[in-house]
This record gives sequence, structure tokens and C-alpha cells, in this order.
Amino acid sequence: MSVSRYKDRKTEELSASLEGHVSRDYQPEEYFQLAEYDPSAAELGSYSNYSYWGSTFRAFLRSPVAVFFLALLVLVLAFTFIEPLLPYAPEANTIYRGDTNLRPCAEYWFGTNSIGQDLWSQIWSGTRTSLLIGFAVACMEAVLGVIMGVLWGYVRKLDFLFTEIYNIFDNVPQTLVVIIISYILRPGVSTMIFAMCLTSWLQTARLVRNQVLIIRDRDYNLASRCLGTPTWRIMVKNLLPYLVSILTLRMALAVPAAIGNEVFITYIGLGVPLETPTLGNLIKAGQVVINEPTLNYQLFLPVLILSIVTVSFYIVGNSFADAADPKNHVK
Amino acid sequence: MDRETILSVHDLDVKFTLRGQTLHAIRGVSLDLYQGESLAIVGESGSGKSVFTKTFMGLTDANGYVDGGSILYNGMDLAKFTTEKEWRAIRGREIAMVMQDPMTSLNPLKTIGDQIEEAVVLHQGLKGEAAKKAVLETLAQVGIDDPERRYKQYPHEFSGGMRQRVVIAIAVACRPKILICDEPTTALDVTIQAQILELIKDLQKKYDLTTVYITHDLGVVANVADRIAVMYAGDIVEIGSCDEVFYDPRHPYTWALLSSLPQLGVKGQPLYSIAGTPPNLFHEVKGDAFAPRNPKALKIDFVERPPYFDVSPTHKARTWLLDPRAPKVEPPEHIKQLREQGVRLRVRH
Amino acid sequence: MARYILKRLLRSLLTLFIIITIVFSLLRLMPIEGYFQNYEKMSQTQIDLGLAELGLDQPLPIQLLNFYTDLLHGDLGVSNKYRRNVEVTQIIAEKIPISMTIGLISLGIALAVGLPLGILMARSTRTRYKIGDKLGTVFVVLIQAIPAAVYYLIIQFFGTSAFHMPLRANMNEPITLLLPILSLSLGNIAYYAMWLRRYMVDESNKDYVKLARAKGVSAGDISRKHVFRNAFVPLVQFIPTSVILTLMGSLYVESLYSIPGMGGLLVTVIQRQDNTVVQALVLFYAAISILGLLVGDILMALLDPRITLGKKEGGR
Repeated sequence: MSVSRYKDRKTEELSASLEGHVSRDYQPEEYFQLAEYDPSAAELGSYSNYSYWGSTFRAFLRSPVAVFFLALLVLVLAFTFIEPLLPYAPEANTIYRGDTNLRPCAEYWFGTNSIGQDLWSQIWSGTRTSLLIGFAVACMEAVLGVIMGVLWGYVRKLDFLFTEIYNIFDNVPQTLVVIIISYILRPGVSTMIFAMCLTSWLQTARLVRNQVLIIRDRDYNLASRCLGTPTWRIMVKNLLPYLVSILTLRMALAVPAAIGNEVFITYIGLGVPLETPTLGNLIKAGQVVINEPTLNYQLFLPVLILSIVTVSFYIVGNSFADAADPKNHVK
Repeated sequence: MDRETILSVHDLDVKFTLRGQTLHAIRGVSLDLYQGESLAIVGESGSGKSVFTKTFMGLTDANGYVDGGSILYNGMDLAKFTTEKEWRAIRGREIAMVMQDPMTSLNPLKTIGDQIEEAVVLHQGLKGEAAKKAVLETLAQVGIDDPERRYKQYPHEFSGGMRQRVVIAIAVACRPKILICDEPTTALDVTIQAQILELIKDLQKKYDLTTVYITHDLGVVANVADRIAVMYAGDIVEIGSCDEVFYDPRHPYTWALLSSLPQLGVKGQPLYSIAGTPPNLFHEVKGDAFAPRNPKALKIDFVERPPYFDVSPTHKARTWLLDPRAPKVEPPEHIKQLREQGVRLRVRH
Repeated sequence: MARYILKRLLRSLLTLFIIITIVFSLLRLMPIEGYFQNYEKMSQTQIDLGLAELGLDQPLPIQLLNFYTDLLHGDLGVSNKYRRNVEVTQIIAEKIPISMTIGLISLGIALAVGLPLGILMARSTRTRYKIGDKLGTVFVVLIQAIPAAVYYLIIQFFGTSAFHMPLRANMNEPITLLLPILSLSLGNIAYYAMWLRRYMVDESNKDYVKLARAKGVSAGDISRKHVFRNAFVPLVQFIPTSVILTLMGSLYVESLYSIPGMGGLLVTVIQRQDNTVVQALVLFYAAISILGLLVGDILMALLDPRITLGKKEGGR
């Protein structure tokens, strides 16, 4: 019996029954008699306990790096949203007169900024806003992407139109779109979300459309349909696994991209107004004191939190997409 | 028949590590390959026939390894080879390979000429104009018209059959002693298949090659093979001359395999298929691997792995049915009739 | 081949036309104070007069027509705030060489470092502990995951504090350009390394590589003559994307180091709300992006013999 690391209970049962069938107890004197034929034993070789989600999670958990960053991400996200509910929870914009530019200490864990605001509260409040933008963009992108992608793939008449739209707008870098929209509209959280969603769903839609074409035309799906498999089952079993991989990756990468865009747009002066803390606003403020060794914690603390969030999203997204890709379940 | 052995495999074990489990792909296989013969290895997918021959060239996938046994060739034990350098003295120069899918086995971004020339430069020691001349000759030899023009073309400008000719040209340009053809016609149109087999046969004669065919198509086998080895679950269960295996098969698996020939189907009755599936090689197989699928299995088949029993000096099979103590189990009626059917099989191609 | 390139060129022109039209129309929504130097002090009549002078009171189609007529005469209007009454084309013409020099040098460096790094990582995937691949991946992940806007700052901080590099770049002192060029290259280095590694790993699992091994080609030759070459061809289509990446990066980097290029200019005119210059620059960047994709497709067609068949046309 070979040693197997990933044996679950079903495999154990299988092995036990297999053993039972193969090594039936026979006495040497009856060896050369005909054995009973058991048709079910003949089929056992092909038994597979493959399950898509099971394999996906096992593949994900196999990577310690991915698990570490997932834990980190969950912790940071949970804390970001729990923080304002904590008992002390000062309002992020509260100004403590006289307490300007204090380095991190017992009272102000991350210190205070040049006008005496508590950086700890400012950073978590900023992270919340930035994440809100990121999540909103990611969700819009996924929803629009899936709807448009399915239409694009299923409705043959729309194919030409969508393909042309894609070919034209794919030429314009997203940063430029965000600049244009932010320049002509009033700066704010919703402007930013709108600007970032405006063209980014096209990529997702295209990926979804390609998968839809595959489900429509691949031989195994045709075969499946010939055998009378209902469409929903084909969708769930054959389409979903591929979409899960693509969508989680797109969504996971949309969050750090949106956070980065926010920082950039804020830097060029088209960002969210200063009274709303965002990571971009904090970094822009910190940038002023980059070369003052006693004060540049005001830059590095928001940078640190931002980096933890974006790197975690990036790694977790990539690892999960790899794990969810059925092609990686074979090895 | 006293022929010179060119390659001798003894008790070969090949294993793969997969998801932390060990897959025993080749289970103690022995085989003598004779100079100048053509041997067909038949068996269903997953029986290990491809892995077995890849081991001769050190081309098993990275997670596969030889776990015992020997492959003797020219006084060397190939099973002990570890370095790229050792293998390069064998690959192409001694043993060459024609792969199954001509659509993917050529580099799409290099001209046909370049890809054949690579083999010519490596193994015939020619350079420049001389190499090009050799390539053009090879192209003509494998039946490609207008070699001058074809030389400069890319694989996508060739049809499937033509590409397979190019793959064969590459193999032949290496001037090997042994040619392994891994399902050479499976991916081709039926009309092209016979031409490709004919071409390989011609080249075999011309260059005195020993050929090994890997196939699951018994029609191909009947057409080209001097000897047949039947593989099941990583083991050769029966081996003998073409006539012996076709007309006097002894292993129940061989019976089942031959029964699956569509030519043996009786009009109005469903075609025969072997019930069940091959064993899972992640588990160590006990006794005869085919026993669970064999309606006529003996009890000992579940306990003890059968040894080879000689049927004739050239024919042996691994089944307890050949033991003197075994009851007399007759092969199915239609197998007995194969002698007449077999004649038709050959004519068909 | 010529037909393919011609077709592709016409397509790009059409795309350019559509994009310019859309962007121009969108930009009509620009805040009107951006057209005047001292908007706050102007009376409503003065504003109306000024708008009429700029032709902004006309219906959109007429404005578009005028814009295209001017564009064909090489006239993109004059700056209102940044450098009053100076032709926008003249301002841009002064800035282009600076941005081009920095952009091309950083692109060159990215190729010179990124490609070997990718090869190294791909090779390393076949070694036992894959150390090279793991280290390379850490670098790629950090550069890809951390927004450029953030790591540019980190580079600036370490460059100026630890290595005493100047905060302001000076075009006449090459050493001062080191930090901005390094900043611009990093993203592309990671990009090339990642894709080359991925393509090389993909290619080396293909059947033709197995056949090359079977015919006795050495591992080094397979890697050089087959795998690298084939992996590099699809990479070519990313070169335009990386041009765009460099362009977008230059917006920030040039402004960080006060480099008097196009990127710094865009940030300045956005902050000072100089509508005509913003419009001209945005259109210019869009045109460059389209040109970049065109060049990428033509390069692909030249390198990949299969493309001329027209099978891979259109969408990417």
C-alpha cells in the first residue's frame, strides 16, 4: 500500500474494499479453481474521489506562503472594519491641539500629524476608504464583466459590436481614463469608483466571453449535452470552475490596483478631498516630510499598511486562482 | 530463430511520484529486442507502453524514475544513466523517436529545413551546404515533393500527414539503430495512415532499423509487426510472433483485446468491449492485474502473480491458465476463428 | 505581409479617430475656469466673450470639425495659464525629447535586465530547490503588488537619504537621472521577467521540445534555439504595453524629480487647470498608446510566420 498524504475517509473506505476484493482468502488446495466473477470489483480501478472544491482548497492550503498571507489579510481586513467600533475609537479627524507632529508613543500609537490628528485613527479610516473604493471597483468589474461577457458570448449578434468596442477601448490605458474622468468631474470617492470601473470591466468581460465560447463549443460540453446533461449542470460543473479561477484573480488584483490608482490620482491633485482620510491623502501628506528623519514616520506608516494590504491581496488572489484552476489539480 | 539481441530489458520498474503518492507504472518488465525486427507493443491507454519505451531514451517526465532492473544496450546499462551527457550519446544517435501528434511535435517558429538540419548536424557531422544537401535528400526520401521549396517553409504550411513525414525525416536523419514509433498514425486520417506505415517500413529496410511500434490499433499491428507484446497495467502479459499472438493467444487479456476488434463483430450484435477498468496503479497490484475483469479468473489469480509460461520458444504468456494444474479454459469461439478472419485483417490494409 | 500591416495601420487610424472624438467630446465637460487665466475676476460677459473667441459656444459637431481642421494644420491651441499664449505644440515639442530619452533608456535597461532575469528564473524551475526562481518571484510580486506610486517614493527616500542622490534631476548631469530611470525600469523589469519565465516554462513542456530532446539536442541548445526564441515572440506584443506603463509612470516620476518632461507637464497643467494643454496631452498620450499597440502587432507579424495567414488578427 503506498503512503498517501491526502487520503480522506472515502479513499480509506475504497482501499479497504479494494483490498477485500483483491486479496480474497483462498486456501492453496482450491487455487486452481475458477473464482467468482464480481463485476463491481472490475470497475474499481476507475474510482475517483475527485471533487472540485476539495481539490481547490487542498491545493491552496498546500502553499504555506498563501496561507500566511490569507491569515494576514483576514486579520487586517477584520481589524480595519472593527477598529471604529472599539471602545476608545476617536474620530479620525479630531484635532488634538498642541499635540502636533508627535512621534509614535503610548497615547498616539502611530503618532500625530502636522495639525495634530491621531495617525492611528487616520490610517485605519484611510484604509477603510481605500478598501471601499477597491471593493466597489472589484465588485462592479465582476458584475458588469460577467453580465456583458455572457451577453457577448451567447448573443451572436452582439459579438461584432462588443469586439469592436473592446478593440477600441483596450488601446487607452486605464490611468489615462481615470485622469480624464477625474479632471472633468468633481473629485470624490464616487467619481473615483466610476472612473476606474468605466473601462476595466472590458477585460473581465472578454475573459468571461472566451470561457462562454468554450462551454458552447468544446467537445466535452457537446458530449455532455448529447448525454442529456441539463444546461445548469454544465454551467456549474464545466463553466464555473474556470470562471472562479479567472474572476477571483481579476477581483483580487482589482483591489490593489484601485488602491494604487487612488494614491496616484491623489498625488496629481485629482483625489478625494482632504477631509476624507484615504491612503492616498495620507501618503501625499507624508511625502512633504519625506526627508525629515524625525517626521517621515508619517509617510512610512501608511505605506506599510498599504503594502501589507496590496501584497496580501496579490498573493492570495494569485494562489487561489492557481488552486482553482482545474489544470493544476492533476499534478 | 537465433537472432542478435540489440536491446535487452530486464525486470524494469518505473515509478512516478504524483501528489505525494507513488504510481508504479512499469512493474518488472523484461523484453529482448532483436536486431532488425519490428516489434509492436499493444495495450489500452495507460497500460504503460509509452512510458516503457521513453525509459530507453531517458525521456520519462521529471517526476518519473527507474526503480530497479536494467536496460542493456551495446554493453551499457541505460537504466543507470543519470546525466544529460550520457543520454545525449543515445538520443537520436542510437535510438530515435516518432511521436504521436505531428501537429505539435514540430517547432512552429522554425523552418522544416532548420529542424531536420539540426539532426543532420548533430548526428551526421555535416555542416553548411553538405548539411543542406543531406536535408534535401532526406526530404525526398520521406516522399516530400519539391524539397527545395519545402525546405524553407514552416510547419503550419504542411498538412498533418506531411508533417508526420517531416518528423520521420528528422528521426531518420539522426541515423539511429532503433526507431520508436509512438502511435505514429493515431492522429492522422485513415487514408494517410497506410502511407505512413509503408514509409516507415521502407526506411526500416533501407537503413536496417529495428523498429518498435506503440499502438492500440491492432490493424496497424497486423500490418507491420514481426512480433507483438501485449501490455496490461504496466506489464507485458503475452509476447510472441505476430501469428502466434493473433492465432494462438493464451492470455485472457489478449483474448479480450482481440475480441474488441470491430472486424470480429457479428452483424446485429453489439460490439464486444472489455468490462471494467484497469487497476489503479497507485495501489500495489496483487496477483494477476487482469483478474478482477476476467470472468474466467482462477482463485490463484487473486493471490499470486503468475510467472511466464512458454508456449513455444518464441511465445510466452503470464497466466496461470498455462499451469499444468489449471483447468482447461478454452478461448472464446470467435478467437479460434481468427485464423480465417486474420487473413482478411491483413488484406484490408 | 504588406497587406496585413496596411490593414492594421488603417485600423489604428480608425481607432485613433474614434478615441480622439470621444475624448474631445468628453473634455468639453472640462470646468470652464480652466480656459482663463483670472477667471475669478472676470464678469459673465467677459467669460461669454472669451468662450466665443475660443469657439466653445458652437455646437459640438462644429467644434469637432474645427478641432480636426486645426489638428491637421498642426495647431492644438494656446496655453492659458501654464505659459500664457504660447502654442501648445511648441510646449510639447520642447518636452518630447526629454521624456523620450528617459523613457527609452529605462525601457532598454528593463529589457537588458528583465530578459536575463526571466531566463534565470525559468532555468531555476528545473533545479532542485528553485532558489533563483523563488527570489525572482519575490521581487516580481513586490513590484507588481505594491503600487508604483508607493515604491517610487521608497526609492526616492533611500536614494536621497542613504546614497545622497539629489532630489531634483538635472538633464545635464546624467547621475541625477539614475533614480528616475531606476524607478521607471523596475516595473518593466518585473513585467518582462515574469512573462518570459512563464512563456519559457510553458514552451518547455511542449511536444516539439520533447522531440528536440529525443533527437539529442543538448539542454543548452534547446533552451537557446527553441525555448527562448519561441517564448520571446509572444513577449514582443507586451513591449507596447510596457511603453504605456513607462508613459504612465513618467507622469509621476518626472514630477517627483522635477524633470521638465511631458509627464511632469501633465501633472502641472492638471493642477493649474490649463484646459487646452490638458486636452492636447491627453490626446497625445492616447495616440502614443495606439501607436504602441500597432508597433507591437507589426513586430509580432514579422517574427511569427503563422500570423500572416490572418488567423490572429483583430482582438488580442
